[in-house]
Amino acid sequence: MRRKLAALLISSALLVAAGCGDDGGGDGDGDNGAGQPTGPDQVSVGLIPIVDVAPLFLGQEQGFFAARDIELATDFGAGGANLIPGVESGQLDFGFSNVISLMLAQAGGIEIKAVSNGNNSTGTQGEDFGSLLVPVDSDVQSAADLEGATVATNTLSNIVETIVRASVRNDGGDPSTVEFVGVPFPEMEAALAGGDVDAAFAVEPFQTIIRTNEVGRSVAWSWVDAAPDLTVAAYFTSAELAENNPDLVARFSEAMAESLAYANDNPDAVRAILPTYTEISEELAAELTLPTWPPEINRASSEALAQQAVQDGLLSEPPDLDALYP
Amino acid sequence: MALSLRPLWLGVAGLVGFGALLELVPRLGVVDDRFLPPTSRILSVLAEQAGAGPLWSAVGNTVLTWAIGLALAVAAAVVLGVVIGSVRFLRAATASTIEFLRPIPSVAWIPAALVLYGPVRAGTLLIVVYAAFWQMLVQVLHGVADVDPVARDTAYSYRLGRWARVRWLTWPTALPYAVTGLRLAATVALILTVTGELFIGGPGLGAEILRASAGGAVPLTYALVLVTGLLGVAANLLFRLVERRALAWHPAVRGEVPA
Repeated sequence: MRRKLAALLISSALLVAAGCGDDGGGDGDGDNGAGQPTGPDQVSVGLIPIVDVAPLFLGQEQGFFAARDIELATDFGAGGANLIPGVESGQLDFGFSNVISLMLAQAGGIEIKAVSNGNNSTGTQGEDFGSLLVPVDSDVQSAADLEGATVATNTLSNIVETIVRASVRNDGGDPSTVEFVGVPFPEMEAALAGGDVDAAFAVEPFQTIIRTNEVGRSVAWSWVDAAPDLTVAAYFTSAELAENNPDLVARFSEAMAESLAYANDNPDAVRAILPTYTEISEELAAELTLPTWPPEINRASSEALAQQAVQDGLLSEPPDLDALYP
Repeated sequence: MALSLRPLWLGVAGLVGFGALLELVPRLGVVDDRFLPPTSRILSVLAEQAGAGPLWSAVGNTVLTWAIGLALAVAAAVVLGVVIGSVRFLRAATASTIEFLRPIPSVAWIPAALVLYGPVRAGTLLIVVYAAFWQMLVQVLHGVADVDPVARDTAYSYRLGRWARVRWLTWPTALPYAVTGLRLAATVALILTVTGELFIGGPGLGAEILRASAGGAVPLTYALVLVTGLLGVAANLLFRLVERRALAWHPAVRGEVPA
């Protein structure tokens, strides 16, 4: 028996060695240098498993990345803010994050650079991929009625607080009286149904689920309220990679721009690809309101958003968009 | 035989009863079935998934991360535990540091893991190894300290060398502790593997739970949670078996075996 246990220990020691070897291999995505003849560049991208990143998967399927010698490996993180450290440290080559998270990171001294647009609001009141929902039987009729109310946001002190405040402000209310609580998107329906919150800002697919189940109704379209054709999120890389391998970054940006344009022109292709990388069913995918995917970042919208974030105290000073944006 | 069958039968009955309760609670409207689907729906989704590849590759990835993390932690803890435990000076010098580091919850390292590694398997491994390491180290330290003084004196009298003392004196004494540590570490490592996959990243069941919940697929989310539970049961059974095998000679185990 002792011999068996010794064997067990030795095999675990071997596993340790194997584990180290495995890690070493996984780190090898840094072959962004001169290794051109060795085949396509292996590029790792950190994403969130949501509707917004559909163009990247479509572009991968359509061969827009392969045509530029890029082979994508995707990793899912719990949120865009989680991806920023991974990109900064070089574990990931690119990431996807909302623009306020990027501005907050910049303010925190993290050197990152946006390389491509992510996704935008539809720009249309009454029909967007996110909205401020209240319980069906609520007295709230418009955003101004939310003065002093408790509003559920997926992440505290981030973009959703800024845009919800914009809705309240635009409607003539005092945005500083709104109280926010952190509730993950998947739990917002239960929070609204249970009366835990007065309102919740939900994006697709939860916006549609909450309305279909007659738990809540939309009273404001905050992405639209914050700025015309708001750029919600962007793809970014580390300042280091942008400086050391401008060629790779340029090819990634081009492939992304083509993917975004393709997604914008082919909403049916977007709805078809959603069930492949998310658990959104085909029926639900057919009903969702999609964001828009213009190929260019709407910089004016980021300036407007940043101005409100400064006004609300989320940012202490306006971001340096010349450094942050391409 | 009759004696050992009854607890098994009761155990199965308990499980079925619990499943029936979870079936009834949403059906009777105590809890909204959109938030807690009845057991039958969860099981049917699970059966559907069991026929597909992604579930099994997620299980495989979780087991891989778990096994790598556990192996790293156990190997480091056994070596360090025997060395520290055998040298009085080292024991005194490290005791306060160990007592300081050990109670830090592994999940508190999640932000650090994200900064160091990003949302990849290595980040998850960091918290898995951290949690499992202390479980094992403390047991090995206790085990090494438990060497019978008479046996130790005898070993010295017979002029056993350092290596022979570790092999014939320390090791058999520490083994029961180490095996207990292994079982505890295995359970903790599995918990942290799924936690890491959920909050840090890397492929596996945690990542699938995140994806299912981000897609609004509630029954699938529960089905995946069920799979993590089954994995935990399997891990516990496996290490109980290892315990029995490794300690077949030990009075505590021998006593358990029905004559």
